[in-house]
Amino acid sequence: MNRDLARHPELERRLASLLHGGTWLGCCVIGLGLILQVLGGRWFPAAAATQVVVAGIAVFLLLPILRVAVMLFVFLRERDYRFGLIAAAVLTVIALGAVLGAQMAGAAGGG
Amino acid sequence: MGIEFAAWLFAIALITSALGGALGMASGIFIVPLLIASGIDMHAAVAASIVSVIACSCGSAAPFLNGGFTNIRVAIVLEVATTLGALTGVFLIGVLPVRFLFLLFTAVLAVSAWQMLARRRERAVEEAEARPGGWAGALRLHSTYPDRARARDVFYRVQRVPLGLALMYGAGLISALLGIGSGVLKIPAMDTALRLPIKVSSATSNFMIGVTAAASGVAYFARGDIDPAIAGPVALGSVIGALLGAKFLMAISGDRLRLLFVAVLALLAVQMLLAAFGIEIGRAA
Repeated sequence: MNRDLARHPELERRLASLLHGGTWLGCCVIGLGLILQVLGGRWFPAAAATQVVVAGIAVFLLLPILRVAVMLFVFLRERDYRFGLIAAAVLTVIALGAVLGAQMAGAAGGG
Repeated sequence: MGIEFAAWLFAIALITSALGGALGMASGIFIVPLLIASGIDMHAAVAASIVSVIACSCGSAAPFLNGGFTNIRVAIVLEVATTLGALTGVFLIGVLPVRFLFLLFTAVLAVSAWQMLARRRERAVEEAEARPGGWAGALRLHSTYPDRARARDVFYRVQRVPLGLALMYGAGLISALLGIGSGVLKIPAMDTALRLPIKVSSATSNFMIGVTAAASGVAYFARGDIDPAIAGPVALGSVIGALLGAKFLMAISGDRLRLLFVAVLALLAVQMLLAAFGIEIGRAA
């Protein structure tokens, strides 16, 4: 009976720890970058500190994508191909956005 | 200039997110107008806010998932529509005049204020209306959620998936254009179209916001629109603020906070309306 419900307790727990851990990581990296910007001064170049902040921002941008990738993996392992396809579609749309965004940047830079 | 400005951005993100978190609202709707009032242009404000929207969604997802409230199957199905909407928004943001974005933001603020006054009520379960077939049955979206008061799991049916998908496309579009979580459209989509119980609806909507915002965030990042000097302090302030907000939620009367929020939303709506006509208030000299 329970098989018909949309519950995935194990996957839900796994996603919870992924998002929780990722948020901590992203916050720590951004926080570190900001502290380096304030205190770095002479011994840590400002440009490098900014790159640390960018890395933290990248962690947050990648976290939801990783979450969809984990769902895709688990759906495929459970032979739930229809939902595997749906998760793959979401990843494709995100990838399309990244590619087109980069192209728009290139076009703006070139023109 | 740099450090003071970063501290200022961190502070406004922290405070708005703490207040937003106390009412279960995403803070993007407050952060974008405040960033604009601080002298940041609309596109940079939207791109920075998107990062904090992702951060807050990811940061608050775990308790909902562990509690069994998030319907991850409903989420992934609707995310096809929200990410497509976000992709559309990424294209339109460069084409649409900034004045239109200000007017759209004004409308979203006004509707949010109205929704906050009206509150959300749990619908009576209309079993007769629930059709056994349809998309939700085929996709196995029906589920249960734990009800503490009744000390058991409560079954719910998901309804009108195509209408939900259409509304979610709009929610993704608005999220990308305005840099917000766009609960304005998600609440009617989840409560009215899909007929999800409020707790499931809040948890699932929050869970989806991260992926929706990541779709536009990645595109803005690739395009070079995300300024780390703005997005960094705002994202960090938002996550810490949301954590604090959830803690001090108990201490404040919900009704008083609700009225305060309606007033703030109305004020920001006026600010964005004035900005649409080129009048800027509160801009740092």
